[in-house]
Amino acid sequence: MKIKIRLRRSIPFVFLSPFLILLVLFYVLPLVYGFYISLFRQYGLRPPIFIGMGNYIKAFTDIGFLTSVLTMGKFFLIQGSIMIGLALLFALYIDNEKNHLRGLFRMVYYIPFAIPTVVSGILWGFMYSKSLSPFQSIFSLVGLLHPDFLSSGNLFWSIINIVTWEWTGYNMIILYSGLQTIPRELYEAAYIDGAGNFDIIKYIKLPLLIPSIILATIFTVIGSFQLFNEPFVLQSMTYVSPHLTPNLYIYITAFNYGNFNFAAAMAMILAIVTFAVSSIFIRYSALEEE
Amino acid sequence: MKKFSMFILITSLVVFFGLSLYADNVQLPVYNGSPVTITFWSWAPGIDQWTINAFEKAYPNIKVKWTDVGSGEAEYSKLLTALSAGSGAPDVVQIEYQMLPTFISYGGLVDLSKYGANNYKSLFVPWTWKQVSQGNAVYAIPQDTGPYAFAYNKAIFDKYGLTVPKTWDEYAADAQKLYEASNGKVVLGNFDGVGVSQISWLLGLIWAAGGHWWVLNGNTWTQTINSTISQKVTNFWGNLVNKGYMSTITPWSADWFPAMSNGKVASMICPAWMPGYLQENLSKENAGQWRIVPLPQWPNMPFTSGNWGGSTDAVTVQSKNPEAAFIFALWINASEESCNHFIGYLFPASFVGLDSPRMHDTTTPVDQFFGGQDINQIFIDASKAVNTNFEWAPWLNYIYNEAAKDISDAISKKISWTQALDQLQNSSLNYAQNQGFNVK
Repeated sequence: MKIKIRLRRSIPFVFLSPFLILLVLFYVLPLVYGFYISLFRQYGLRPPIFIGMGNYIKAFTDIGFLTSVLTMGKFFLIQGSIMIGLALLFALYIDNEKNHLRGLFRMVYYIPFAIPTVVSGILWGFMYSKSLSPFQSIFSLVGLLHPDFLSSGNLFWSIINIVTWEWTGYNMIILYSGLQTIPRELYEAAYIDGAGNFDIIKYIKLPLLIPSIILATIFTVIGSFQLFNEPFVLQSMTYVSPHLTPNLYIYITAFNYGNFNFAAAMAMILAIVTFAVSSIFIRYSALEEE
Repeated sequence: MKKFSMFILITSLVVFFGLSLYADNVQLPVYNGSPVTITFWSWAPGIDQWTINAFEKAYPNIKVKWTDVGSGEAEYSKLLTALSAGSGAPDVVQIEYQMLPTFISYGGLVDLSKYGANNYKSLFVPWTWKQVSQGNAVYAIPQDTGPYAFAYNKAIFDKYGLTVPKTWDEYAADAQKLYEASNGKVVLGNFDGVGVSQISWLLGLIWAAGGHWWVLNGNTWTQTINSTISQKVTNFWGNLVNKGYMSTITPWSADWFPAMSNGKVASMICPAWMPGYLQENLSKENAGQWRIVPLPQWPNMPFTSGNWGGSTDAVTVQSKNPEAAFIFALWINASEESCNHFIGYLFPASFVGLDSPRMHDTTTPVDQFFGGQDINQIFIDASKAVNTNFEWAPWLNYIYNEAAKDISDAISKKISWTQALDQLQNSSLNYAQNQGFNVK
């Protein structure tokens, strides 16, 4: 009898074990290990010295790290608004049942997302480069000089362009599936009451789409703070400041400067910041909905 | 009696010639240990299974497993991680001269003097030996070098009536003349100090002007990034860049070779390993049009060159067979067999390599690209004129990133070029002191 109960209790864990083992091995353990090494200071192969929160205090006074977090905050605000705005427009466009080309456009907008970010980084890098760029002939046609898209002043905006190109389609699909869940009867009822297309968007589609917009925004927050591939790939074409994104700085601190401990501390902080910003956003928008 | 004197004569002759032979040709070490397999990381162009096989034939008890894990930064990241992790590093690893102090201070490299490395000092060009050793300790075997010469597109020089510059004043005059005559469409050179790690290009030119940034004395480093010589050289280039006489394309980017290939950039400061790259990457129309001459000079000093790049082979502390690893590192860079084959693709650091007849073979595609000129003779002269008195800091990775930022700011005229050096001096000093180095 007792054995049976024990068995019954353990059975769910047996079935969960493939997932749990992987979760512990590749998620929980690295996290714990990362936190553990972030408490030490070590130069080269000398023995590590325990310094407690020292690396965390250092991170909050490290101009490079603070700059990178602020830059990505700014990146999120600008790029996030542009991208979600565009995704919303596209989603509304392909949601319109009178639009016969919507199948085609859904695919066209979505294609960039199917391209790996490293590849699109290289692709855009070539398009920005002065000697390979197809824009060269376009600009000279209008009699303008080809702008230096990769100069230190323009790089931020050039990366915004790449990321927007890659991720708009993805966000569009999130919003589009949100639109698809809205019962069609609501539109019919609204038509009968004399509402136009824009009224329907304003009073029915947008309010009911808010949960999907929140979801897309949270993904964008996480994506922005973790930006790495595009600037990393562009390093081979131009000078990219290591202080541009937190992940780039963490990478260089660990694998160029060999300071794995400080890099681990910054990675921990980055995880907490991303988590905090996302949860604040969820909390705030949940209040709005109520 | 006659027989006896003949015997004496012959023995003395044998002993005499034997000794003189020994003095001229230092014998490579013999391996008496048990059979071992060593691992080797290298990206050197031209290294191939032939070289490895030849070594295994000469040393049947040592087997070599060679892997190319990426060049430069890509390899160093892996090496750094493997060293920190405590396993995964190879026995022998290719490292550029400038990165040696970083890995030495990290505690990752074996001091080879205990295997008699100092006995082979005379096999290598003196300045390269200075680069791989600290005092009596030897941390790597020199492999190839990149002493500077000046490469120019003769067709463009002829078209605009430019004289080949022998001094930096003449270089600046040519830069202005070409810019004005072509309405800025063709520039004399590209400022190759743009981008991460490219500061070593500018540092090579400061080296050629008799300057240096770091000196290690005991365990104290003295850093002089904004010294007078350093400022003189940096402002010379900064002036040309500010006036638009130089382009500022990031080296190795997609725009870099095309600019030279399409005749928009007329010359380059050319390290000895570069001619092969030029021949390979520039269009066919460029073949036969380029020439190489010695590096332009500063007034009132003997003929001097600098160095950009080149690499060494070091033995890591994770090696279980450091002696075999050392023997391999030495053989691959100093044996006649290897120098005639593998080193032929690089510009060698050993005298055996420099004396190899293939160095002066002008029928190769590379020499033909330069109009059939004996280009290596110019680089051999340049190598002899490189100052031995030059050291790299162990926190060079920081300098690489920080200098790239300061140079980028100077190019966009946010700060002056003198300010760029001052900033670099201060931030580097701060960083190094924070890391626990004894710097002033």
